[in-house]
Amino acid sequence: MSAMAAGGNLPDIIQQDYSYIKQYQKSGQLADLTPFMESGIIDTSKIPESIIESGSIDGKCYALSLGSNAPMMSYDKAVVEEAGVTLPMQMSMDEFFDISQQIYEKTGAKTLFDGGLGMMQIMARAKGSHLFDQLRAGEDTAVKECYDMVDRFNRSDFCISPEILAEKNPDLVETKPIIDGTSWNDFAFSNQFITISSTAGRELGIVMNPTGNDATEQSMYLKPSMFFSIAETSLNKEEAAKFIDWFTNSVECNEILMAERGIPINTDVAEALKPNMDEVSQIVFDFIAEVSKIATPIDEPDPAGKGEVEALNKTCVEDLRYGDATADEAAASFVEGAANILAEAAK
Amino acid sequence: MSSKTSVLRKKKTFVQILHTPGVAGYIFILPFIIGFVAFLALPMILSFGFSFTRYNILESPVFVGLENYKTMFFEDAKFWKVFGVTMYYVVFSVPLRLIMALLVALLLVRSTKLSGFYRAVYYLPSIIGSSVAVAILWKRMFASDGVINALLQAMKIPCEIAWLGRTDTAIWTLIILAVWQFGSSMLIFLSGLKQIPVSLYEAATVDGANGIQRFFKITLPMLTPTIFFNLINQLINGFMAFTQSYIITQGKPRDSTLFYTVYMYQNSFTYSKLGYGCAMAWFMVFVVGFLTFILFKTQNKWVYYES
Repeated sequence: MSAMAAGGNLPDIIQQDYSYIKQYQKSGQLADLTPFMESGIIDTSKIPESIIESGSIDGKCYALSLGSNAPMMSYDKAVVEEAGVTLPMQMSMDEFFDISQQIYEKTGAKTLFDGGLGMMQIMARAKGSHLFDQLRAGEDTAVKECYDMVDRFNRSDFCISPEILAEKNPDLVETKPIIDGTSWNDFAFSNQFITISSTAGRELGIVMNPTGNDATEQSMYLKPSMFFSIAETSLNKEEAAKFIDWFTNSVECNEILMAERGIPINTDVAEALKPNMDEVSQIVFDFIAEVSKIATPIDEPDPAGKGEVEALNKTCVEDLRYGDATADEAAASFVEGAANILAEAAK
Repeated sequence: MSSKTSVLRKKKTFVQILHTPGVAGYIFILPFIIGFVAFLALPMILSFGFSFTRYNILESPVFVGLENYKTMFFEDAKFWKVFGVTMYYVVFSVPLRLIMALLVALLLVRSTKLSGFYRAVYYLPSIIGSSVAVAILWKRMFASDGVINALLQAMKIPCEIAWLGRTDTAIWTLIILAVWQFGSSMLIFLSGLKQIPVSLYEAATVDGANGIQRFFKITLPMLTPTIFFNLINQLINGFMAFTQSYIITQGKPRDSTLFYTVYMYQNSFTYSKLGYGCAMAWFMVFVVGFLTFILFKTQNKWVYYES
C-alpha cells in the first residue's frame, strides 16, 4: 500500500492497522471523516465514544474502527484439563510461570514465551506507563522486566527452544507452535482466535494476556482491529462514507462478516449477531465482553520506526536466548538501539 | 540512396527516412528501448538520486548528502553482517553449483537414449527453483520433523537436527537449494563440452594420456570460456538471491541467513527508509561490477579461446 500511496493511487477506501494511521495522516493521505459523521452519513449513535476517539488525531476522526480486539493468550483445553490446572482469566507473570511448570510436569507440554513488543507494552501499562514513552526516553524499566522473564523462561526446561521457534514462527498463523501441539499456549489478538482455532483443529480457550507482576494499573485494553479510512485523493468520498456507514451499522453486512474483523463496534449490531455465532465466535465475544468491563484506554498509536524496533527486539531476545548476552546486556543494547531508531525516525 | 550526394540537399520525406538503412533497425528495437528507459534506466537514475535522500515513501524525499552511505559503512553493524552472509553464500554456492553442473554434464555428454530425459530432469529445478512454492517445500523438508530427518532416521542415523534453527546449518539449507538448481549451468557446460573437437582426445589417447590427464589437459582448458561465462552469471545471480531467504528463513536464526537483498527490502519497505535501501542497492552494483571487472581483467591468465 505504501507503493500506491507514493504513486497517489490509493483506492477510495483503505483498511489499515492502528499503527499506521499516524504516519498516513501526517502525510495528508487520509480524509477527515468528522463532517460525514456530523451530517449523519456515517451514523455514530450506537458507537462508543472511545472507539471514535481511537481513530482520531487532534480531535478529528480519520479512521473508523472495524471491530474490537484485545490481546489474548489462547490455550489447549485438553492439555490444561489433563494437567488439572485452572487458568485464571488474568494472571500475573509469576503465576503464568508456575502454571507453565505444572503443565509441563503433568503433561510434558511446553510453553511459548518469547518476549515480544506486545508483552513489554503490557508490562509497562501494568505500572501505569507506556512502552514507547519509555523507549524514547531511554528508560529500561519495562524492557528489563520482560527480558528478565525471558531469561527465566529460557533457563527452564518447559520453554520452547529458540531453534524450534525459527521453524515454527509464531508470527504466522499456520506455523504457530500451538497449531501442531508443540506448545499448549499462544499469544495473539482475539480476532485471530477463530483462524487459530480452526487451523489447530481442536478446542482452544482464551484468557487475557498475563499482566506484569505487582501490577498497579489494569493493563488490558481494547484495540481497534483494523480501520477503514477514506483516501484524501479519493474522488468518491461521499460514496465511500456511505459504504463505511453500511459496513459498520448494518446487521446484514455483519451477518456475512461474522465478526471476522473483531466484534462489531455498533453495540446493537453486536447484540444482534451473538445468537447466530458458532461456539468458537461466542468464546471471542464473551472474552471481549470480559475485557470491556475492565479495559483501560489503549496506548497511542506506535510511532514511526516501530517496525525497526520490533526487529531489533527480536535480535536482542535471540542474543539472550542463545546465550550471547545476559538479560541486562541484551536489555541495555535494545534500549539504546530503540532510542536511536525512534529518534532517527521522528526527524 | 544515402550515398547520393547532390548539390541541392533534398529534404527527405518521412517515407524516405523510413527507408534509410539503419532506421528500420532502430524501429525494431524501439519497444525494447522504451522498456529499457522506462523500467531500467530511469528507475536506476532515480534510485541513485534517492540514495542521497531520506525518503519514507509517504512524504517527499529530503536531501541528506552522503549520510546514508556513512550510516551504512560505519554505523550499521547489521549491514556488514548481511554483507558477510551474502558473501559466504556466494563463495560456497557458486563453485559447488558449477562443479555439480560440470560433473553431471560430463556424465550426460554421451548421447544415450535417455540423455534427453535426464537433461530435462536436471534442468527442471533451475526453472522452478526460485519460486515461492519450492521455497515453502524446502522449508518443510528441512523442518525438524521433515523429510530430511525422516530419511536420515530411516538410514539409522539418529537425527533430530533443527536444520533451520541452528545458525551453522540454516545457511547451508539455502546453499544446497542453490546447488540443486545447477541445471541451467549444466546445459551450458554440455554445449561447451560438445564443441571440443574429438580429434584432440584421439590424439591424446594415441600419445598415451589417461582419462584424468585428458580431463585436465584438454577438457578443462577448452571449457574455460564456458566456465568464465557461467561463473559471471552465477556470481551475479548469487548476489541477487532474495526469495529463498525471504520465504524459507526470513533471515533467521539470528540473521545468519539474512541476504543483502532481503535486508535492503526490509529497510526500504518495512522500515520505510527507501533512501537507505537505494544506497544499499548502489553499493551492491558497485561490488558486483567490481568483481565482474576483475574477472574480465584476469581472463587472459586462464581463459583459452580457440584461436
